Amino acid sequence: MSAEDTIRKTVTENDVVLFMKGTKSMPQCGFSSRVAGVLNYMGVNFADVNVLADETIRQGIKEYSDWPTIPQLYVKGEFVGGCDIVTEMTLSGELDTLFAENGIAFDKDAADKIREANA
Amino acid sequence: MDGKVKGPGREKAKNMTRTERIEARLRESFQPRVLEVIDESERHRGHAGYQDGGESHFKVTIAADAFAGMSRIARHRAVHAALGHDLVSEIHALGLTISD
Repeated sequence: MSAEDTIRKTVTENDVVLFMKGTKSMPQCGFSSRVAGVLNYMGVNFADVNVLADETIRQGIKEYSDWPTIPQLYVKGEFVGGCDIVTEMTLSGELDTLFAENGIAFDKDAADKIREANA
Repeated sequence: MDGKVKGPGREKAKNMTRTERIEARLRESFQPRVLEVIDESERHRGHAGYQDGGESHFKVTIAADAFAGMSRIARHRAVHAALGHDLVSEIHALGLTISD
């Protein structure tokens, strides 16, 4: 299967996917760590794809998303953004809305705590 | 094209640093009201992607009318496009704060 097919299958079969450096339990980059940390803290069930483990995926996801950097978050097959965008959307509450609209379970109190801590 | 030497050629001729090239390309593309390019590389010394001499990790804050009406993703893509593939691929990390 080509990298593109693998990526399409992954983002289609999983509601929330984070393409990252390292894994959600052991991130290998500060930006990946931040996004995985937010999702973990919000109790979101997500699939993590370690791009460092597969060079074809690492290059393939950049082309698939037309986005040059890692991490990359997908929700229901749609590209949401990288670390800056996910951070902004977490703080503005847009990420809550996106999850709610897509029927993805998350801990609203935890999301509020992130916002309080960063207010 | 207008015949003017643009982008990489002109920058090479002027021997510009990466910080200067980022600034020049963003000014040319967006005529920003606010533009701040910070080289944060020293904060990442010893981490993945650190290069001797710095200029590997950047934080850019930009505000321009050109971003009005664009989605977050579209704004970021516009900045990536303005910087160009060559410059983006030289940089290890690029944090963007974009507003209109």
